[in-house]
Amino acid sequence: MNTRRRFVGFLEERLGLDVLLGLARNKLVPIHASTPFYYFGGMAIFLFLVQIGTGILLSLYYKPSPDQAFESVQAIVTEVDFGWLIRSAHSWSANLLVGVLFLHLLTTFMMRAYRRPRELTWMTGIVLLGLFLAFGFSGYLLPWNELAFFATRVGTAIVGVVPVVGKQLLLLARSGEDVTGDTLARFYSLHVVVLPMLTFAVLGVHLFLVQKHGMSVPEKIVADARSKGGLRAMPFLPHFLLRDMVGWYLALAILAALAALFPWELGDKADPFKPAPDNIKPEWYFLFMFQALKVLPAHLGPFEGEVVGVLFFGACGLIVLFAPFLDRGKISRAVLASLAAVAVAFFIAMTSWGWFSGAEQTTLRVILGGIQTVVVLPLLIPFTAPGSNGRKLVYAGLTLAIAVLAVATWWETLG
Amino acid sequence: MVATWGAILYPVLRFLRPRAATASGALEVVAPFRVKEILQAKNNPFDFGGKPCLVVLTPDGAKRLAAGQAIQADDLRAFNAVCTHVDCTVKYRQENGDIYCACHEGIYDLNGRNVSGPPPRPLEAYVVTLRGEPGQEEIVVSKQSPA
Repeated sequence: MNTRRRFVGFLEERLGLDVLLGLARNKLVPIHASTPFYYFGGMAIFLFLVQIGTGILLSLYYKPSPDQAFESVQAIVTEVDFGWLIRSAHSWSANLLVGVLFLHLLTTFMMRAYRRPRELTWMTGIVLLGLFLAFGFSGYLLPWNELAFFATRVGTAIVGVVPVVGKQLLLLARSGEDVTGDTLARFYSLHVVVLPMLTFAVLGVHLFLVQKHGMSVPEKIVADARSKGGLRAMPFLPHFLLRDMVGWYLALAILAALAALFPWELGDKADPFKPAPDNIKPEWYFLFMFQALKVLPAHLGPFEGEVVGVLFFGACGLIVLFAPFLDRGKISRAVLASLAAVAVAFFIAMTSWGWFSGAEQTTLRVILGGIQTVVVLPLLIPFTAPGSNGRKLVYAGLTLAIAVLAVATWWETLG
Repeated sequence: MVATWGAILYPVLRFLRPRAATASGALEVVAPFRVKEILQAKNNPFDFGGKPCLVVLTPDGAKRLAAGQAIQADDLRAFNAVCTHVDCTVKYRQENGDIYCACHEGIYDLNGRNVSGPPPRPLEAYVVTLRGEPGQEEIVVSKQSPA
């Protein structure tokens, strides 16, 4: 005991751990109907840690060249012990991470947590979402399979239509006019060096700001609490952390089930001269953009359709980034809320449209759709009054989604 | 300060520019299949200076080939197979008599004109000439008209 105390004392004297421990011990987390939304941030960090762990393991065997990339991933999933599981966990956790980040973004927006003085917390969060989408896009090419090749061709071509600097950006991204081995090397470097470094830096600022300003509480809840003598709160250590860890376990359980039951497919090796395969689709989180580009006409007035599409999505991204500064009063708040509702509806509608067109493995898609519904619908519960029609509608939707999920799962596993 | 950053960033930016070796200057290529094999060719599109090149038969050419008649250079068309929408590689659909991009369902006719879906421009056309004995002709695709 004495030795332990001496060792802790040694560390405290040199590292100043007591300051950090003091911060953690004094940190309080507000308790209210939307408190569960706070867990999404912790789940995202957990999934990011899974990404780092599985990514490091994959890098032990992966070879970033067009002649060896596909074969090395093939060797990982067929020859290396549990290689299939590590790769599957890496791919699935990347998808879950983006899903959790979308939910984190949505719930933060619904709580208007970006209010002064948390504008920069919001903006660093949006930058982090952009970085994780870049992780997804750059990592997608690494197996050098057919799907990856065309996804990269399309994704970088979209960058290329940006007015004025598009061509230069395309050359910079592809390292030439076409997607080649040089592109693969660039994407590898981006995926394993540049993006992780940037992410650590921005995540550090984001977490510092969360710590500095504390958890945001919706205005209405603050006002209600004032009349009732103040808001209840729980200590971060250990109460909130233990609850947060339940979120991590939930994420781990979903990840383990998906990675084990639906191993990530490798597909066919990329051939730069083969036509794109039928029913080709990007990852689900880029599907809305993909589908929008599919239905946009060739020309909209004097502009080419894809230019209008890219500029539109770019403008949407900027609105999201600067939302805290656009929310300046009752009217602008109502406009922002309406735009957000339209954006979410557009995202879900376009994703579903792209998802189910020419579907293969329909049951898997229904299961994933059911899981999405079961995850998204409860977000509305804190915003509906107990016993109201809105709350009843949410419960009815949830019951239906759970029933569909149960039948689809039964069909897939036993049918 | 500006000079220091300039001295550091200029070489870095130049370093990030694509190297010249990745661009090919080939002006002519022989298709890896003969005229009579075009409908069964698995390697169509094929490599033409680093870009996929697609050769298709016109409807008249298809009729002539089916009837066992000689095929002329005019019965064939060759294109840069990169879709003008967002760079996917198109394919020849003999059964539909068109050229199709599976990424965003863009359709071109056999003259390379964009006729349906999001492609904003026609495909880049190449010149086709035939070389060799009748029945055994090779398809020569070039970026310039023969002199």
